[in-house]
Amino acid sequence: MDRENRNVILNTLSILILLGVLFLFHRYGSLYQIRILNNMAIFITLAVSYNLVNGICGQLHLGPNAFITIGAYTAALLTMAPAKKQMLFIIQPLIWPFTVVHAPFLLAILAGGVAATVFAFLISFPVFRVRGDYLAIVTLGFGEVVRVLCNAWQSLTNGPLGLKDLEPYTNLWWSWGVAVFTIVAITKLINSSYGRAMKAIREDEVAAKAMGIDPFRHLLLAFLVSAFFSGVAGALLAHLITTISPTLFTFIFTFNLLSIIVIGGLGSTSGAVIGAVLFAWGGEALRVVESQIDLGFVKIPGIPGMRMVIFSILLMVVIIFARRGIMGRNEFSWDWLLAKMRRGQKG
Amino acid sequence: MVTFFKLDRLVMQFGGLTAVSDFSLELHPGELVGLIGPNGAGKTTVFNLIVGFLTPTSGQVFWLGEDVTGLPPQHITARGIARTFQNIRLFTDMTVLENVMVSLHHKMRAHFWQAMLGLPQYRREDRRIHEEAMGFLQELGLAHLAEEKASSLPYGQQRRLEIARALATHPRLLLLDEPAAGMNPQETQELAGLIRSLRSKYDLTVFLIEHDMKFVMGLCERIKVLDYGVTIAEGTPQQIQCNPEVIKAYLGEPKPAGGTETCSK
Repeated sequence: MDRENRNVILNTLSILILLGVLFLFHRYGSLYQIRILNNMAIFITLAVSYNLVNGICGQLHLGPNAFITIGAYTAALLTMAPAKKQMLFIIQPLIWPFTVVHAPFLLAILAGGVAATVFAFLISFPVFRVRGDYLAIVTLGFGEVVRVLCNAWQSLTNGPLGLKDLEPYTNLWWSWGVAVFTIVAITKLINSSYGRAMKAIREDEVAAKAMGIDPFRHLLLAFLVSAFFSGVAGALLAHLITTISPTLFTFIFTFNLLSIIVIGGLGSTSGAVIGAVLFAWGGEALRVVESQIDLGFVKIPGIPGMRMVIFSILLMVVIIFARRGIMGRNEFSWDWLLAKMRRGQKG
Repeated sequence: MVTFFKLDRLVMQFGGLTAVSDFSLELHPGELVGLIGPNGAGKTTVFNLIVGFLTPTSGQVFWLGEDVTGLPPQHITARGIARTFQNIRLFTDMTVLENVMVSLHHKMRAHFWQAMLGLPQYRREDRRIHEEAMGFLQELGLAHLAEEKASSLPYGQQRRLEIARALATHPRLLLLDEPAAGMNPQETQELAGLIRSLRSKYDLTVFLIEHDMKFVMGLCERIKVLDYGVTIAEGTPQQIQCNPEVIKAYLGEPKPAGGTETCSK
């Protein structure tokens, strides 16, 4: 059996296993567990698409919260029933097309992705005129602009009051379906000729140009693809938590994503997935340390905020012992796993 | 007949400094021409002007009858002029094979979404790129290192990989910036043979910068000498060796009674 066939079989198998696990949780899991799994899938989508620009193209882009916000608001405005919208917009009435439209969920999340992509396209011209720290500042600025707009443009976003009572459409199948599709599509892109061109730009932009690569076109491609998936994830997030407001999408959101991909390993899709899983699950698992712990001989009182202390310590441990993140720039592969298992059997 | 390649009185000024002044050159298909000069003479600047990393203050670059002055580098490469770099600039974290495959990307016809969905048209093209890249590696004797990281290669092979990468863009004019720098005499000799064979195999015109005089004199059919941005001599290796201006630029004022054996008429 050759490698390619084996990988296809193993990939199909692992997706089937994932489906099985999701089904079990869907049937027997508590709401809390399901919520964590949904969060996990959404963070995987966000981290993998964010990693495309930051890790693969090597551009420190600090505005994914803008794309997520746009995706979330667009989808929310589309799925909400017109009557509900009329009730919600009490300070200023909603502007025209949104007062009447009522779209199905699939269409709404796609629209969320497209809206984020259009926005990314508009800002790409100033963004990719600069590089390095300047690019970071410009994207950070655009992220802030979107948040401020959400606060101020009351006839579209309902301002600081936000959008409430969205239908909780996001379930395990939606969130994990999107996550798996994102991983597959972005991995294929990274391993393609286009992905090689992006990595070449990361390694040495001058040499890449001399080899006929147009940096703007390829950075734009990565930026738009990343924005699309971030927008879709934003739409899913909105319909998971059912209430969105501008305070949800501050720079802290971007910062969390950045920590996820740095801990996972900048430039590694597997790393982004691992980072997202650890973040979504670990954040909840660490709640234990905030409750009172009775060790028999000593009682530790529950301290709120202890979670973040432990989280920071873990962060530092990762950075000390794995300076380039858990995966570095390596990717998970079946070859690697099988070789490891064989060695394990022998030893 | 259209001009193959012509530089018409290129001038490059950086602030008050004139790095290159009035540089003119015409290349004919298949020629092997050298550009020499002391350090800081402006040789690499000439290369940067040709491939579009710099836009000349005045003057023009003609390529296949078209004025390509000031076009961005990726467009120049796509039109068939490739270069290597004096200080090696490989994509260090990528494999040797990937380095070469990057150069074949600009010919890619399949769209990115075809790649994302793994559609047959893309996969066919990718397979072709893979094979072609392996061909170039074989040509330069690097095929057995295809899966190594580019940064792990020894120096001489990194230089070879630079040439392989430039060749893979399918150039008709190849610009080599100090290809023999840091090589030992044996490697240099091999390199000269390699450049000759590549030229005939791929119908290349080669324009190179080099400090190794033995290498240049043995390889090039025509040589141009730059000093402080000014062309001080041009001609066959024989003529250049005897040119008093050149000797002065390299060695300073000759003694009145001086003169080397080879230059006696």
